[in-house]
Amino acid sequence: MSKAAILCVDDEVVVLNSLKIQLKREFGDAYVYEVAESADEALEIIDELQSEETDILVIVSDWLMPGIKGDEFLIRVHEKYPKIIKVMLTGQADETAIQRAKEKAALHNCLYKPWSSQELIATIKSGLEGL
Amino acid sequence: MNPDLKKNYKANILVVDDTPANLRLLVGMLTENGYKVRPVMDGELALTGAKAIPPDLILLDINMPKMNGYEVCEKLKENELTREIPVIFISALDDVLDKVKAFQVGGVDYVTKPFQVEEVLMRVETHLAIRQLEKNLITKNQDLEMTVQQLQNTQEQLIQSEKMAALGQLVAGIAHEINTPLGAIRSSVENIADFLKENLLQFPDFFNSLMPEYQQYFWEILHRSSEQKNSLSSKEKRQLKKSLIKELEAKEISNADTIADTLVDLGIYDRISSLVPLFQDEKGSQILEKAYQIASIQKSTDTIRTATEKAAKVVFALKNYARYDHTGEKVRSQIPEGIDTVLTLYNNQLKHGIEVTKDYEPNLPSLLCYPDELNQVWTNLIHNAIQAMDYKGHLAINITHQGDSLLVSITDSGKGIPPDIMPRIFEPFFTTKPPGEGSGLGLDIVQKIIQKHDGKIFAESVPGKTTFNVNLPLNPNS
Repeated sequence: MSKAAILCVDDEVVVLNSLKIQLKREFGDAYVYEVAESADEALEIIDELQSEETDILVIVSDWLMPGIKGDEFLIRVHEKYPKIIKVMLTGQADETAIQRAKEKAALHNCLYKPWSSQELIATIKSGLEGL
Repeated sequence: MNPDLKKNYKANILVVDDTPANLRLLVGMLTENGYKVRPVMDGELALTGAKAIPPDLILLDINMPKMNGYEVCEKLKENELTREIPVIFISALDDVLDKVKAFQVGGVDYVTKPFQVEEVLMRVETHLAIRQLEKNLITKNQDLEMTVQQLQNTQEQLIQSEKMAALGQLVAGIAHEINTPLGAIRSSVENIADFLKENLLQFPDFFNSLMPEYQQYFWEILHRSSEQKNSLSSKEKRQLKKSLIKELEAKEISNADTIADTLVDLGIYDRISSLVPLFQDEKGSQILEKAYQIASIQKSTDTIRTATEKAAKVVFALKNYARYDHTGEKVRSQIPEGIDTVLTLYNNQLKHGIEVTKDYEPNLPSLLCYPDELNQVWTNLIHNAIQAMDYKGHLAINITHQGDSLLVSITDSGKGIPPDIMPRIFEPFFTTKPPGEGSGLGLDIVQKIIQKHDGKIFAESVPGKTTFNVNLPLNPNS
């Protein structure tokens, strides 16, 4: 049986590094942590994990990224995997994009950069409780 | 109080004549024809009366004792209140010189005694009409001046709001550019603080409790982690993790995925055979975990350094962008600096699929200019270029020194400007953007700023290649 995964998407490696440290510190080896530098790469990872029969529980995605933006990415994911908990992490509050993600991707929560470890963990935990 | 306010007469005329018979004649004639007439007998009274209630016209006798008509007229013309009142002289003389003098002192016409009623009425009516036209003209001019002033104010407001709109678009992007490193800094600091809180006291005990061979592993892991400087992409790391998992599983190590993941986070991607005995040991995971925690402190400090530099760069660019010379005088400035500032601020829009090539001729001379205004030029041109390419393509910026001027060329690989639109692009309020997205003032302002520097701007465009050339003379005329 393989562990479930948490996937983080951001075009800034420093953000991905930080997220992974925070998640690992909290959840230890309970999950697999994957990171992607773009939505395209994230979609690739999702398919790959799916083919390995690894469940993805949570996706934390930046909004402003090269190529596909966060809201669009989460909507695409939602169409295929409605059960995945979707969290947006943004440095720029684009309210229409957040609204769209809420409506079309069942966005669980939107966090704003700079975020705190506490709110990140609380958001993910509250998402996982709903499963 | 003032009966003049109730206007049931054609005009108010002041008649000045020292001869009672003449006075009576004129008063009678004018009153009969619907004018309100004020008769006075001498110059002093005429001046006082004209100042008290300025009449529409003055009929003024030349030959009077004490103050003659010319003097009265001169005094009327000296006074602000009475200056514009048309004066028609009454003269018994038929001397050419006197007539000339009558015009010289400011009279508009003259009538000679004995009067011909029709003639006097005609001249009075004519000059009243002229005066009325003049008044209308003055009012119209004032209206026009006011309208022009309002237009100028509006234009200034538009230019200002265009500047603010450009800044607003930038700010949204810049918020992201600054919040991202801030987020990384904040989480790194939390990570370091958490580690210290949890480990500082226990760590010496933990370390001392380790057998020397474990200590050896511990140092090896930390050492290899600290010398790892390659920054691999997440994709590459994932591949390395997979091969590590395979390698570990082949050695029948349980928890291979967690160990591999931690190793990759530590920057240990290969040559793990020396570490295999550790992972096969039951204490292995705990030692690796501790090493990871310490290494993540290092990673966090690196993150803070990188993120601080990044945020500082953005703030520096912002400061440069808004550089404003309070003296309103030109200052010496390097053109490439201004352009690089704008590129930094647009970084988040550019990195999403736009390749930027810069070709700046080395040792370019500085330019006496208004740097913040030129920044507005580069902002507009670069912003237009990005939009023309729909955020994907190639942006080339060239600066060359040509004779006594600098030539800045900004080229995008966008769809191009259609030939029928080309002649209109610098027109104010001309825009191809949807309503609300552009005021159509961008290029108009660009052109005005460049003209202010005695420079020229011209565009050339074919599909896939649009260039805006800005020529700035090193020694402007002004």
